[in-house]
Amino acid sequence: MQVDQTLDCKGLSCPMPIIKLAKTIKKMNSGEVLELLGTDPGSKSDVPAWCEKTGNSFLEQKVESGTFIFYIKKK
Amino acid sequence: MFKKGVLRELFNTLFGKTWPMWVGGILLAVLNILLFVIKYPWGGSGGYINVGQNLFQSLGATNIGTQTPINLHTVALLNIFIILGAFISSLFSREFSIKVAPIGELVKGLIGGALMGIGATVGIGCTIGGFFSGVPALSGGALFLSLGFMLGTFVALKYLLWEMEALPKISMGKSCTLIPGTGKKTGWQRWLGWILIVVVLYIFSNYTAKGTALSKVLGWHVFIALILGIILQRSRYCITRAFREPFMTGEATAPVAIIISLLVVLIGFTVLKYFGVGNAGETAVRAIEMKSVYANFWLRALIGGFIFGLGMTIAGGCAVGTLWRAGEGHVKLWMSALGFTIMAPVSKGFIVPAVVKIIPESLRSKLFLPDVLGYTGAVILVLVILLLWYMFVKWNEKTGNFSAL
Repeated sequence: MQVDQTLDCKGLSCPMPIIKLAKTIKKMNSGEVLELLGTDPGSKSDVPAWCEKTGNSFLEQKVESGTFIFYIKKK
Repeated sequence: MFKKGVLRELFNTLFGKTWPMWVGGILLAVLNILLFVIKYPWGGSGGYINVGQNLFQSLGATNIGTQTPINLHTVALLNIFIILGAFISSLFSREFSIKVAPIGELVKGLIGGALMGIGATVGIGCTIGGFFSGVPALSGGALFLSLGFMLGTFVALKYLLWEMEALPKISMGKSCTLIPGTGKKTGWQRWLGWILIVVVLYIFSNYTAKGTALSKVLGWHVFIALILGIILQRSRYCITRAFREPFMTGEATAPVAIIISLLVVLIGFTVLKYFGVGNAGETAVRAIEMKSVYANFWLRALIGGFIFGLGMTIAGGCAVGTLWRAGEGHVKLWMSALGFTIMAPVSKGFIVPAVVKIIPESLRSKLFLPDVLGYTGAVILVLVILLLWYMFVKWNEKTGNFSAL
C-alpha cells in the first residue's frame, strides 16, 4: 500500500489522536492515504467510527509489537 | 464438564472485543444501585481527597490531613480497586502496556488532575458522585454541576484545538511504550491477571471475615470495585466523552450510553429514596432521601463543575476515567491521578473556605428536588432534561452544527 503521510500518535490518549487525525486529514488531498500509529486501545474503535462518520475510507488496521497501525484514505 | 473450548469462548467474549458503552453503562448503573443500598451511592472525588489527606498526614501537614486511613475509607477503596480491576481487565484483553506520553502531555495530565481536584471540592462532587449519582438522586445542585461540566468541557476543547494549531509541540516529542500485551512472550500478563484476581478475592474475604458491620461494607466495596474496574475498562466508559463528543466529532454514542445508565440509576434511586430503603444502620428516611444531595445549589455547583470540566477535558478522563485509564497503563492519567490527589486536600483546606465566604449561603444550599416539585415532578424534570439532551446529541450527530471536527 502506498502511504502518503504518517501520523505518529504513540503514547497519546483520548482525545488527542482523533483531534490530530482530523486536523491532518483536512490538509491532505482526496485519495491520499494516511498511516496512523497509536498505542491507545481506544483508537481501535474510535478511528473506524470517526472514518464512518466523516465518510473517509478505513482501509486496514494491524498491530505490530504494541503499536496499532491504521490506514485511512481521504474521501 | 465443560470443554476447554467453551470456557475459552466465554473468556474471549468478555475480553476479546470492546463492549458497547451502553452495556457497560447498564451494568455500572446496577452496581451503583447496590452501592446505594450497602452504604452510599458511588463517588470518586471523596476517595482522591482521602488518599491525598493521608499523604499530607504522613508528611506531617495535619491541617490538611485526616484520621481516617485509606483501608477504612469506602470511596478510597473503590478507587484503588477500580484501578486494579481495570489493570487486570487490560492484562486479560492484551491492552495493557505502559504508555509514556510526550512530556507536554504529562504536564497536561497533572494540570488537568489538579483542576479536577479544585473543581470537585469547590463544586462538591465529580462526574461520579455529583453527576452519575447526583442527577438520579434528584439533587438540584447536580443539574448545575452538569451544566458547569458542559461549559468547562466546551472551553477546554476550544483550548485543545487552539493548542494543536499554535503549540503543536506540546503533544509531540518523545514517547515510548513498555511491555505491550500484544508483543511477544506476553503469556505471563494473563497469569498475572489471574493471580491478582485471587489476591483481590483474598482481601475481600479478609474484610468480611472480621464480621463487623463496617468491615463487611468495606469488603463488598473491594469486590464491587473490582467488577466496576473490569466493566469500565471493557466498555471504555467515559463521562468526559459524553460531554465532549457533541462538540468534537458530533458522535452520539457516548452521550446516549450515559443517558441510558442515568435512566436505570434514576429508577433505582427513586424507588430506594421513596420507600426509604438503605443500609440498616441508617434508618432515618430523611438521611436516605438526602443521599448524594449536597449543599451546592446552584452557584457553587456551577463554578466547581466548570473548573472540573476544564480539568477532565485537558487530562482526557474524569475522576473515574482517570482511574481505569491509569490501570490500563496511560502515564498521562497517572499524572492526572497524582494532580487530583495532591490538589483536592489543598483545595479543601484553603480554596473552599475562601469560596464559601464569597458565595452567599442561598447560592450554595442543599436542594432535594422532590421537596419543591414532589417525587413525580422531580422525576419528570430529570426525564425531560435527559430527553432534551438526547434529542440535541442525535440532531447534532446528523447536522454537525455544534461539532468542531
